[in-house]
Amino acid sequence: MKKLVLAALAGTMLVPISALAQSDKPVRVAFLAASSQNGYNDATWQGVQQAAAELGNVEAEIFDGQFNASVQFSQVEDIIASGRFDAIVVAPNDTVGIATALEDAVKAGILVGSVLFPVGPDLTVMEPQVPGLTVTVAQNPKTGAIAQAEAVAEFCKDKDPCNTVMFMGQKIYPFDNLRYEAQMEVLSQHPNIKILATGEGNYSPDTSLAAMSDILQAHSEVDVVVGTADQHLAGIEIALEDAGLEIEPIYLIGGGLNQITVDAIRAGRYDATLSQNPKSEGYLAAKALIEVARGGTSPTWIDPSASIENPLIVTTDWLKAHPEFTAEWEG
Amino acid sequence: MSVIAPRKALSLGEIAREQGVVIIIALLLLGLSFASDSFLTPRNLLNIFNQSAPLAIMASALTLVIIGGGFDLSTGAIFGVAAVTAGWIAIHVDPYLAIVAGPLIGLVLGTVNGAIITAFGVHSFLVTLATSLVYRGIAILMTDGKLIPVRIAEFAWLGRTKMGMVNVAVIVMLVFMVLMMFLLNRTTFGRAVFAVGGNEEAAILSGIRTRLIKILTFALSGAAAGLAGVITVSRISMAEPQAGAGLEFEAIAAVILGGTSIMGGAGAVWRSVAGVLLMALIGNGFNILNVNPFFKDLTTGVIIVIAVALAASGRRR
Repeated sequence: MKKLVLAALAGTMLVPISALAQSDKPVRVAFLAASSQNGYNDATWQGVQQAAAELGNVEAEIFDGQFNASVQFSQVEDIIASGRFDAIVVAPNDTVGIATALEDAVKAGILVGSVLFPVGPDLTVMEPQVPGLTVTVAQNPKTGAIAQAEAVAEFCKDKDPCNTVMFMGQKIYPFDNLRYEAQMEVLSQHPNIKILATGEGNYSPDTSLAAMSDILQAHSEVDVVVGTADQHLAGIEIALEDAGLEIEPIYLIGGGLNQITVDAIRAGRYDATLSQNPKSEGYLAAKALIEVARGGTSPTWIDPSASIENPLIVTTDWLKAHPEFTAEWEG
Repeated sequence: MSVIAPRKALSLGEIAREQGVVIIIALLLLGLSFASDSFLTPRNLLNIFNQSAPLAIMASALTLVIIGGGFDLSTGAIFGVAAVTAGWIAIHVDPYLAIVAGPLIGLVLGTVNGAIITAFGVHSFLVTLATSLVYRGIAILMTDGKLIPVRIAEFAWLGRTKMGMVNVAVIVMLVFMVLMMFLLNRTTFGRAVFAVGGNEEAAILSGIRTRLIKILTFALSGAAAGLAGVITVSRISMAEPQAGAGLEFEAIAAVILGGTSIMGGAGAVWRSVAGVLLMALIGNGFNILNVNPFFKDLTTGVIIVIAVALAASGRRR
């Protein structure tokens, strides 16, 4: 009986969505940015807007999460209470904490899609961990980290020892730990790769500069620096220059693929970066939700890297072969 | 016949308050020197000074604000505005003008803080909390939240050039610190700052223009934050709107670590700079020793508690 009631209730709640398929009503999409004043999220928002413009009769609105999990949680609650939206694209500030709010949104008949990270306790599970979540548009964080480590192993294959410095965002972030552990798993299989130190860059050039300057006091011979993010490389590069080291022979690999890094790789200052595609993420998530709202279907997981032209690790050689390439975000 | 009164010996409490931060620095220096051969080298010590220069500049001027009975929570945001403005000017107008513009913008924003505080009689804590949001918003609006690469040699001069072994930024920091010490200890203005922070009513009755003194301290604090912002952008060749976020708390922590009374009326610029160096030493030591970052915050917190407790015990006695 209880199940029947719940099914009837769920059916009632889903009426507004399915009704959109037959009506001329616009699909109303809310994009919950981790922070609206952030280059990555801005590009995601551009992707959402692009999907809205292409598919037509879509109203899209951005919400500023202020890099604050509580703010974003409240925004979901407000959206449910207001009934103003048919779909939510969320770039989660807290992938675990936001889950209960999104569950309530799904129960209220709102379609939910997540970008950048999956929502739920396990960052490596890309299939929905929140019951009823429509789509996750993200790359498994381990995949990229492993690709970075494999690129390092390839560079180091003829060096013994290959002195390597690792940079993570912050040790308090689960996704940073996940990436770091995945990288170390690969690198530990290569005895020639010697990890000199691990710094915290906090996604800031200034913090990375200070940490790298300190590390260089104890380790003056460096062959490789792995930065989780491109912002780290900006500070690391300055520290290396200030220490009087020649940048060109040192392998510098970052993550994010912003235009600043693309320009730096083309200029020969960095060597490679892990591809991330915020605009594609926003576009694919919004497109999937709009199509489902209009009676269509969507896979529950979309890997954005599958639909873009560049490889997972963008290198100097690849950029030389693709001079027309521009990144999806500025930095 | 003149009689020179013997100088009163300092009590243990007074020594703790006056020299607590120096004692802890000495202990840290000793411990880190044993822990790593790379620590006590001229290169590393200069590296620590260089890293600390922007925060030390901010803490030097903030000391005057706090001694004057005020509180400035907007320095991080002013740092951000100055950073992105300087970056923009360096690219679009002139790199040298950008270096000058940062402190000037800080001076204006700091003056605005002081003017609002004195005009409306609102506590500086609330005013600067509010203006920090406004200033950070300006920085974000100016850049759309994006990074601005500023790889211009003339602009990088301030942050990256060395005179001998010493970075220009360190020299700027030392000059600024001495200037603040001179203003505080050797001028009428400095005595007025102590008077305003110690007992504002008495200062008014003494004919001190307390409002003007307060505005000037906030103006100096703003100019210092602007200068710190320019040095940082010049060093990392990148202006970011979130630059300086949280730096206001580090500056306040350094000032308090140095034993400056949060109630106003007592303190010293050099001890605030020592507070900055103490925090930098902890970070440097952890990076050199490659210790798990989790322990860094824990250790920093414990050391701050010890230093503040030492300073407080000095005041109680």
